[in-house]
Amino acid sequence: MQAEAPLSPPPAPAIRALACPNCGGTVELRAAGYTVHVGCQYCGSILDATDGLVKLVTQAQTALAYPEIPLGTRGTLFDVEWEAIGYLQRSQNGAYRWDEYLLFNPYHGYRWLVNARGGWSFGTMLTRVPTMQTFSTYALDGQSYTRFFRGDAQVDRVVGEFYWRVTVGETVKTGDWVRPGFMLSREANDREISWTINQWLPERDVVAAFGVTPAARVWPPLPHQPSPWGAWLGKGAKIGGIALAFLLLVSLLLSGTRWLASEALPVAVDGREQSATIGPVHLVSRWQRVRVRTTVPRLENGWVDLDYSLVDRRNQQVYAASGAAERYEGVDSDGPWTEGSRDSDVSIAGVPAGDYDLIVEYKGNRWSQNDTAYPDGGWMEPTNAPQIVVELGTGTLYAGNFLLALLLIAFPWFVGLMLHLRFEKARKEQSDFAPAASGDGDD
Amino acid sequence: MRLHLPCPHCGADVVFRSPALPNRVCDACHTMLVRSDDGVAQLGIAAALPFDVSPVRIGMRGTADGGGFEVIGRVRWSWSDGAWNEWLLLFDDASTAWLGEAMGQFMLLREHPFSEVRSKTLRAIAKGEPAQIGHKVELFGRKLVLADAREALCITAEGELPFTAPSGWRVYNVDLRGSDGECASLQRDGSTVSFYHGRYVTLADLAPRGLRAIEGWSLPGYAG
Repeated sequence: MQAEAPLSPPPAPAIRALACPNCGGTVELRAAGYTVHVGCQYCGSILDATDGLVKLVTQAQTALAYPEIPLGTRGTLFDVEWEAIGYLQRSQNGAYRWDEYLLFNPYHGYRWLVNARGGWSFGTMLTRVPTMQTFSTYALDGQSYTRFFRGDAQVDRVVGEFYWRVTVGETVKTGDWVRPGFMLSREANDREISWTINQWLPERDVVAAFGVTPAARVWPPLPHQPSPWGAWLGKGAKIGGIALAFLLLVSLLLSGTRWLASEALPVAVDGREQSATIGPVHLVSRWQRVRVRTTVPRLENGWVDLDYSLVDRRNQQVYAASGAAERYEGVDSDGPWTEGSRDSDVSIAGVPAGDYDLIVEYKGNRWSQNDTAYPDGGWMEPTNAPQIVVELGTGTLYAGNFLLALLLIAFPWFVGLMLHLRFEKARKEQSDFAPAASGDGDD
Repeated sequence: MRLHLPCPHCGADVVFRSPALPNRVCDACHTMLVRSDDGVAQLGIAAALPFDVSPVRIGMRGTADGGGFEVIGRVRWSWSDGAWNEWLLLFDDASTAWLGEAMGQFMLLREHPFSEVRSKTLRAIAKGEPAQIGHKVELFGRKLVLADAREALCITAEGELPFTAPSGWRVYNVDLRGSDGECASLQRDGSTVSFYHGRYVTLADLAPRGLRAIEGWSLPGYAG
C-alpha cells in the first residue's frame, strides 16, 4: 500500500510573478489565492489577480504612492513574522491623511499596520461583533470602549495586493471607540459592516520590526494612545503608599524618647538666677536629637526662665537652647481659668555622639508677691520647697522627617499627575464627541 | 470501508474512504471519478488548481470538537470579488465538516438538514428569493445577521468529496454571522438547498500537524 499523501512534499513557492498588462512591469504576488486586486508599483494601475488571471481594472493612477515601508519588507511583531504586501493612503475627504499597510503571513492571515500622525497601531479584523452597551460605549471581551470619532474614510492611493476589490476613491463610513491602548473601529458600506481592533504600538517596536524612521513626538496623542504617565502613576501611588506607610511605622516605632538623666533642682525663693550641671550624659548614636524637658510641679501664677547649654566634654562645643514654663490661673465672670503649662519641652537637633554635660540656668518668678489666692503664699514660698525637674533624653526621628519624606515622595507623583492630566486633556480634545467648549490642542 | 481502486483513466491507485464520499479527483491525472455499485465512472478532467499560498493541504491533520480529523478534499470557489477554499475534514468518527478559508480567516462548519431550520427568512431564500443583507435571522435560538449573499462559481476541486464539483458549477451562497464568532452558510443550487452551521476558528485552534510548507516562511509556533 502506498502512502496516500506524501509526508513532506517540497515547500510550495511563496511568490508568483505577474506581468502588469499596462506597463509590463513585474508584479509580485505574495498572497496568491487570497489576493483579489493588485496596485502595480510601477504605473499605479489596478489589476484583478484572482486565481492568476490578470486583468487591468483601472489604468495608471495620477500619482504613484511611495510607502515608507517598501512592500515585501518583513518584520516581527508579537512574535510573528509579517510581510508588508499592500499599502493604502487614506483620508477623511482629503483631510487627516493616514497610511495603512496590509501585513500577511500565510500561517496567521492578515493584519493591519496603521500610521496616523506618526503613531502606530496593529489592527486585527474581528470575526465577532462588539455589542452596544450604551449610546456611547461598545463592549468586546468584557472591555468597554468609549466613542471617539465618526466620519468617512476614502482611499487616495494604492500599491500592492489586497484581498478585496480596492478602488481609489472608495468610501466607507467609519466609527471609532477607544480604551487606553486599543481602538475598536467599524467600517461600513452598503454591503457589509466590518470591525477591527487596533492595538497601539510603541514606535520603538515598529522601528525594530520594519526599520521605519522615528517620527517626532505624536502630539496631540492618538485617541487610544495610553498615557505614558498612567501606569507610572498607579505604580507610583502603590510604591509611594507602601514607602510612606513603612516610614510612618518606622518613625512611630523609633521616635519615642529614651530618657538618660533626670534631676530635681531647688528653686531659690528670692528669684535669683541659678545654675546646675547635669552629667555626664553619654550619647551613642552618630547623630541624635536631644530633648530636654523641665517640669515645675507646683507652678502657680509664675514662670521659670530656662537656658540650656549642652557642652561636649571633648571639645567644649556648646549646643544651646532655651525655654520657659509659665502658668497663670484666676477667676473671672466666666468662672475659673488657667493658661500656660507647668512644663517646657525643647529639642536640640543634630548632636553628635560623645560625653556631654547639660548646664541649666534657671530663675523662678512669681506674678504677685502678695497673692491672696493662695493661703500658703504661692509656689515660691520656702515652705513649699519649690523645685524644677529636668529630664534629658534622645529621640531618633522628627515628625518633620516624615513630612519631608512625604513631600519628596509625593512631589514627583504630583508632577506625573499633572503631565497625565495634560496628556488626557489633549487626547480627548481630538474627539468628535469632546465637550463643545474645547478649543485646539495647546501645542 | 476504505476502498482502493485503479483510476479508470490513468491506472493510478485511488482511495475511496467512505461510501458517504463517492466523489474523488484522481491525484495523478485529475480525472473526476464517481464511485457507485456499477464501478467507477469518469466525469471529465478537473481544472488545475490555481497557485496559492494556503497553509492547509490534503493530508493535514488536526483536532476540533474533541476529535481528530484529516483534510481529504477541497473545493475552490470564486465570485465577483475573489475566491475561497472549502476544505473537507474527515473526523475519526467518520463524520465530516468543512473548513472554509477566505481572506486568511477560517470557519469550521458542519452540515445540518435544512428541515431543522425554522427561520422564515431562510426558508424564503431557499425557495428562490434573494437574501437581504443586514437582515437578522433567528437560528437555533440565537440571532445571526445575513452578512453576505452572492453567486458562487466552482473553479475546481481535489481529493475526496461528498458531491461532484465540476468547474463552472454555479450556486447561490448566503453567509450568516453571529456576535460571538458563530457563523452559518446556505447554498442553493436550483431547488437543492444545503445548510451549514459552525463558528470562526483559527488554525492554531485546530492544533494542525502536517501544515503545508511555504518557501521562505518558517512554520508557526502552533504547528505540531
